[in-house]
Amino acid sequence: MKILLIEDEKELSCSITEYLQKESYLCEAVLTFDDAIEKINMYQYDCIIVDINLPDGSGLNVIRALKKNKSETGIIIISAKNSLDDKVSGLGIGADDYLTKPFHLPELNARVKSIIRRRSFGGINEIVFNDIRILPEEMEVTVNGNSLDLTKKEYALLIFFISNKDRVLTKESIAEHLWGDEMDMADSFDFIYTHIKNLRKKIMEKGGEDYIRTIYGMGYKFTDR
Amino acid sequence: MKLLTRTSRYYLLISVVVFVISGLIFFRLLHTIFEKQLDETLFEEKLLIEETINFSDSVPDFRSVFGHMIDITIVNTSHVKTEYIRDTLMYDRDLGSFAAFRHLFVENTSVKHKGYTINIYKPLSDSEKLITEIILIVVLVFIILLVLLVWANYFIARRVWIPFYRTISNLSHYEINQEKPLSLMKTDIYEFNLLNQALAKMSKKIQQDYINLKEFNENASHELLTPISVIKSKLELLIQGEDLDEQQLQLISSVFDATSRISKLNQGLLLISKIENNQFAQAEEVNMSQIIDITLEHFEEIIEHRKIVITKKYFHEVILNMNRTLAEILITNLISNAIRHNIASGNIEIILTADSFSVTNTGQHLKLTRPVCLNDSENRKAILIQWDLDSQSYKKLPIFTK
Repeated sequence: MKILLIEDEKELSCSITEYLQKESYLCEAVLTFDDAIEKINMYQYDCIIVDINLPDGSGLNVIRALKKNKSETGIIIISAKNSLDDKVSGLGIGADDYLTKPFHLPELNARVKSIIRRRSFGGINEIVFNDIRILPEEMEVTVNGNSLDLTKKEYALLIFFISNKDRVLTKESIAEHLWGDEMDMADSFDFIYTHIKNLRKKIMEKGGEDYIRTIYGMGYKFTDR
Repeated sequence: MKLLTRTSRYYLLISVVVFVISGLIFFRLLHTIFEKQLDETLFEEKLLIEETINFSDSVPDFRSVFGHMIDITIVNTSHVKTEYIRDTLMYDRDLGSFAAFRHLFVENTSVKHKGYTINIYKPLSDSEKLITEIILIVVLVFIILLVLLVWANYFIARRVWIPFYRTISNLSHYEINQEKPLSLMKTDIYEFNLLNQALAKMSKKIQQDYINLKEFNENASHELLTPISVIKSKLELLIQGEDLDEQQLQLISSVFDATSRISKLNQGLLLISKIENNQFAQAEEVNMSQIIDITLEHFEEIIEHRKIVITKKYFHEVILNMNRTLAEILITNLISNAIRHNIASGNIEIILTADSFSVTNTGQHLKLTRPVCLNDSENRKAILIQWDLDSQSYKKLPIFTK
């Protein structure tokens, strides 16, 4: 799986690359518009992550160049500007997703996964984690073959966990994933706990294993290790 | 109190005081003059009478000559010379009542060694009547003068102060976030020109400061985004480490919390600068009840978790021409605040009518009502702090989102 990251802030670029490489993606990073154009003309990527504000050009033009090549590459825009216009024009010219800085790395990871999943599995669109199987299109979850009845948020939570398996997820990133950043959840983290407790209970009721670990004072980790 | 009223009032007060004092002095003066004249007449008469007595030694009948009361007695014994003049009250047969008289009393011995007394009484009423008439005329003249002066003063002042009132009106219509500078008309009065110049200079400076501050806010919040993103991403990488102990995790968690606080703050600042820059100017038809429903659905689980009972009352279908994003921010803020500052198993009442929207929640000690007025221009002012529906006036929102 090849990913191209176009981000001019070196430190941020390093973090993203490091996080994505742990997912066994091959992640290349470029810092400028020119380098980006060169790369997309030379190689084929499964997903590109592009910052709109580049020092020598607009990320939107990278997307336009990609689309001109009739590329099937998935595109995620990351932008410092939370502007509706940028979002609309970005998605309008063929980007798949739009993420506003500052974002959580697990969030970006989940979005990359979702895009790659949608594009490249050739119809076999399925998420499997040991005994848990998810059919994202039907929003269906089974544990050991038993169908699992989840609420919308529990479902989103499970996908988020599996997308970031073996990673520590902060309560904040979970809250933001589920409710967006407009809800200040600082006083409502106990509510996430309830949600996770319910999800855990439902999985275990169907004979599934408990993969959710609590990381003291920090958040949770979904792991079978 | 208006400046004109105040000056007119002082003017009137001072005029009256001056008039009363000068009137009293005038009256006194007049009185003295008349008295002096009266006394002179009395002495002249006295001299005439004395001459007659010395000449004839008989009591002359002067009454018919001078036309007022004269009483003369002559005795054979001599008198010591006494003479005084005074005011006295006497019965006046002509009037049939007591009246004031000037009384000259003389006691003396004539050339032929006979004593005589002369009493001359001259009524004061004549001169008093004259004084009263003079005073009346003076008062009348004064009143006419006063009215004219006050009126003239009022109109002159009103004319003179016109540029001042125009400046005030310009100032009160001036808004700092408007692009155009404060325009003040030139007048031919030096002081007002000075004032206008000072005001123009000041407003220019304030506006410049305001723009600088706005730009600073905008730049700072934009510049802050990148380092915040870096910190967040590095922290997220850091916590993936396998060998972190509890204490280290606790430390990282604190840094995380602080970072997200900065991040939230920054988001708020960015929103404010966007609103200030009119980036939400695009208006469209927004169905309020729809937005409320979507927002409630968004918070469904939290509402359930806290066992909050929601009562919705939509009396009208409200469709407003406004920016959708701002409408969503507003409704989300109101509802999430109503949820956050609620008690467990509390309730929230949402009422939407043609011209108002209110979210009422139960709270610990106080009941918070957050009415938002939608259309009623009369009531709109009162609730401006929260929301203003004129598409150009979203600027009031920051106070609310803060």
